[in-house]
Amino acid sequence: MRRAWEVFRTGAGFALLEHARNRLAIVLVVVYIPLWLTMEHWFVTPAPARFLLRATGRTVTVDGNHLTMVSGAVNTVTLIVGFMMFMTTFKALAFDSRLALAGYPRSCLLVGKVIAMTVASALVAGYATLIVCWYWDPVRPVLLALGLFTAAVSYGGIGILLGAFLRSDLAGLFVIIMTSLLDTMLQNPMSNTEADKQGLQFLPGYGPTQIGVAAGFTSTDASLGHLLLGPAWFLLMWALGTAAFFVRTRNHLRVPTPPPTASPV
Amino acid sequence: MTLGPCALRVLDLHKAYRSRRVLRGVSFAVEPGTLVGIVGENGSGKSTLLRVLSGQLAADSGEVERRGTLGYCPQATVLNDALTVDQHLRWFRTAYRLDGTRRADELLDELRFAEYRHTRVEVLSGGTRQKLNLTLALMHDPDVLLLDEPYQGFDWETYLRFWDVAARLRDRGRCVLVVSHLAWDAGRLDVVHRLKDGVAAPWSAQERTGVPQGASR
Repeated sequence: MRRAWEVFRTGAGFALLEHARNRLAIVLVVVYIPLWLTMEHWFVTPAPARFLLRATGRTVTVDGNHLTMVSGAVNTVTLIVGFMMFMTTFKALAFDSRLALAGYPRSCLLVGKVIAMTVASALVAGYATLIVCWYWDPVRPVLLALGLFTAAVSYGGIGILLGAFLRSDLAGLFVIIMTSLLDTMLQNPMSNTEADKQGLQFLPGYGPTQIGVAAGFTSTDASLGHLLLGPAWFLLMWALGTAAFFVRTRNHLRVPTPPPTASPV
Repeated sequence: MTLGPCALRVLDLHKAYRSRRVLRGVSFAVEPGTLVGIVGENGSGKSTLLRVLSGQLAADSGEVERRGTLGYCPQATVLNDALTVDQHLRWFRTAYRLDGTRRADELLDELRFAEYRHTRVEVLSGGTRQKLNLTLALMHDPDVLLLDEPYQGFDWETYLRFWDVAARLRDRGRCVLVVSHLAWDAGRLDVVHRLKDGVAAPWSAQERTGVPQGASR
């Protein structure tokens, strides 16, 4: 039990430290989120926009500027956490394989990374919510933060999957940026007048955007199902990335025979 | 196949990358307390052989039997730039299930890089990164060591110290297998196998002395 705790604590601690030392990600969090949301606040029209809340089947008419800020917050947190998890998975693949070869339990290694990602996602979502609250007052800010958190973890999972399979960091960053931009653009009726069309539910930004809008503009709408969509996306992506990691790091040799005599240390 | 007194036994190992057959029946055995060199030209399959021996790569056919714990030092440094030397040692101490880092501390002193213990890897020189790369393979005092050109980037003094460390490991009964530059290192090795045309053949002392420096890789 003590060994398991030590293994888990070591992996999670160093995974968190790695995020904390990712200067580019920290700069993006500190500068990019407020810059993006401030520009949307300045330049996007407050004209009313109609948004279909599928949890209740109700269409709400909301301030287009505020709606775009919710969408922008989803966009920024997904980009940053997706980027963080892609880079950490991509760069650490050989190192993690070496740790696994040395005997570090692979499950502990991966769970440690998930813990670190969860902490980073919570901080980034909380920070983005604070910026939104600086400009206007969402009806339920805690639920908005929760919605942004689910957006962050879903793209964290996508980042892990891309990091496990792609062989170029540029390709990974391109895919994350384009997916996140397209996803949030399609969910927002300000940029897509057909945002209430069937089929958009199958994109990762759907659940978090529904929660974000419900949190920003209503006091009752929102369903647990929508709140779980982001984590479900994460689990699916993470499971695929984890399977790839287990396949790649499996030992192809039989269990070695013990040495003939005790090893002097 | 029975293992006998050997620490490592390889029998008829085959490995191909698509149509390119890299290993075509490699066989050899290494006893404990032996310093073995694997030499061969670029692309002759030395790194592939070590990856198969360490279990990272599946052979198409053949057998590998190993007695005891393994230490593997990859050719390219495999480290985490965000962490310090000390943090690497702590993480691998947990992986190897060690109570402490006594052996790693000795290696830090022997290879003369203890002063960088609290320095982040991203700012270390290539040679110091390689010292840490090697230390991570040796810090649990394994029975069988697979070292893929472990001295790349070392200065001359450190290169000599590496061979002192390797010789001491051999004297303590460890099996040390080094992918090596023949011309420089042949005299330091107990046995040399030359990998050519996918097959490992013992290379005699007479053959070793007749080869010009640096011509073997």
